Amino acid sequence: MFLFRLRSSRVFSLAVTMVVYAVLILNKAGGLIYQRDFNPGLQKLSSNDYLILAGTFHGVHAITSQISPTNETSSSGLEVLESENFVMRCFQTLTGTKFLIFAEPRQQNLDVVVRRVYELYADYVMKNPFYQIEMPIRSEGFDRHLTSYIKPHQ
Amino acid sequence: MNRDPSPFRTASTASTATSPTPKYANLTASTNLRYSLTRKSIYDRHLNRTKTSELSKSAFAFLFGEMVQYAQKKVYGVQDLEKKLNLHGYAVGQRFLELLLWRDGRTAKRETRILGILQFISHQLYRAIFQKQADTLEKVRENEDEYMISDNDPVVNTYISVPKEMSQLNCGAFIAGIIEAVLDGHCFPAKVTAHTAPNEMWPGRTVFLIKFEPEVLEREALRVGS
Amino acid sequence: MAGSSTSYYFVIIGTKDNPLYEAEFGSFKQGGDGIPKFREEQRHMNQFIAHSSLDCIEDQQWASKEMYLKTVDKFNNTWVSCFLTGGNIKFLLVHDTRSDEPIRQFFADVYDLYCKTLMNPFYEVNMAIRSQTFDQKIKAAAKKYL
Repeated sequence: MFLFRLRSSRVFSLAVTMVVYAVLILNKAGGLIYQRDFNPGLQKLSSNDYLILAGTFHGVHAITSQISPTNETSSSGLEVLESENFVMRCFQTLTGTKFLIFAEPRQQNLDVVVRRVYELYADYVMKNPFYQIEMPIRSEGFDRHLTSYIKPHQ
Repeated sequence: MNRDPSPFRTASTASTATSPTPKYANLTASTNLRYSLTRKSIYDRHLNRTKTSELSKSAFAFLFGEMVQYAQKKVYGVQDLEKKLNLHGYAVGQRFLELLLWRDGRTAKRETRILGILQFISHQLYRAIFQKQADTLEKVRENEDEYMISDNDPVVNTYISVPKEMSQLNCGAFIAGIIEAVLDGHCFPAKVTAHTAPNEMWPGRTVFLIKFEPEVLEREALRVGS
Repeated sequence: MAGSSTSYYFVIIGTKDNPLYEAEFGSFKQGGDGIPKFREEQRHMNQFIAHSSLDCIEDQQWASKEMYLKTVDKFNNTWVSCFLTGGNIKFLLVHDTRSDEPIRQFFADVYDLYCKTLMNPFYEVNMAIRSQTFDQKIKAAAKKYL
């Protein structure tokens, strides 16, 4: 227990300010299994639109991983999407689950954030005996730890 | 065949997989059944061999998660499930009690009073299993025969989020089973149940409610009188 | 009892007063050969003596916190020594000479072997112990201390 606490506070300490708008998790078939906003004043999509966004992104990601002009056999596909108002970081696990983080454009260290979210997912979703794999995530522990990770920095 | 007598010592959690260390290097892997090359049995293995060893918290979480899923099969409702988890814990408790007393050697004591056995559980037993003491030990004011042991953050529940439709469930029933076995072993038959009792600091706080059988109180009263 | 060497009857009793294991052995001390010298009728008596001592143990187990209760009962020239584990398993030794310390050491070894038996996931509390290794090790402990 003690070692465990030590580790979580040490490795992933972040800069004081961090503005993360939203976190999305896609299963390997492109279905949206988790969506969460972290700023109350943000423009929202309808739940159907979120599903379409997830499906579309899944397709785009598949295409981008095929169009590498170099000879290398595999490409990671789309990883960062930048625009005037936001930046999106995508991280795909070895099993095909995708983590999407929407944040402020100047936000640094998004890969650290995405790693930490992945770790929380591995802990509080995958180790939960009541979670059915590939299904929408309804885990109170995951919600709580995600909030306590992202909120204090905002 | 060998069983790790201290399965809940937790070390650092590793979310990402760590490769298993070849702990039983002297075992043959040629057949499906594992025999020791030296033909040693469980009786040749020292009981203190794993006294100080620790177990990965992740490995335990996955194992316990599988146990909960297994227990969920063929049960009718939450109470039935808790009973199954309790039984799993009971088997662990029976073994752990003897092991703990064996390790005390000549200073080992059987507890003969209610308070003594409860302190043994919340201190020695808890520290041996979880490397910490239970957070509180209280008597229920309204009922003579009820006591409470609380744990702010039970190790077994660390990664478990119970779905809303099963909100009555607390997988701490497993620990309740361990406690029940220790009480039974010392001839203090009791029912032990786990209840979620969150507070602001500890959302996963669990209370183990111990309700002794009437004969325990009768005996205790006789002994106070004598 | 025939001859000068002592004979012992050892039994492990479960939580429901059910026997889990029993053995007889003779002393190796003072030139003994380790073979029990019980007469035939005495062998039956041993079981009765052990069984009747259970009531005495029930009285004494609440007076002391010790696991080793020393001699708990006496019948003619036969004593019964008892070791009570935390899980309420009783080790009883019926013997005809008093010697507390060697018996304590013997019981300590038996407790070690019993705990190891319990570590076997296929063994459950109150099951009869049929392991040959257990039997051999108990007899070795008896040879060492008794």
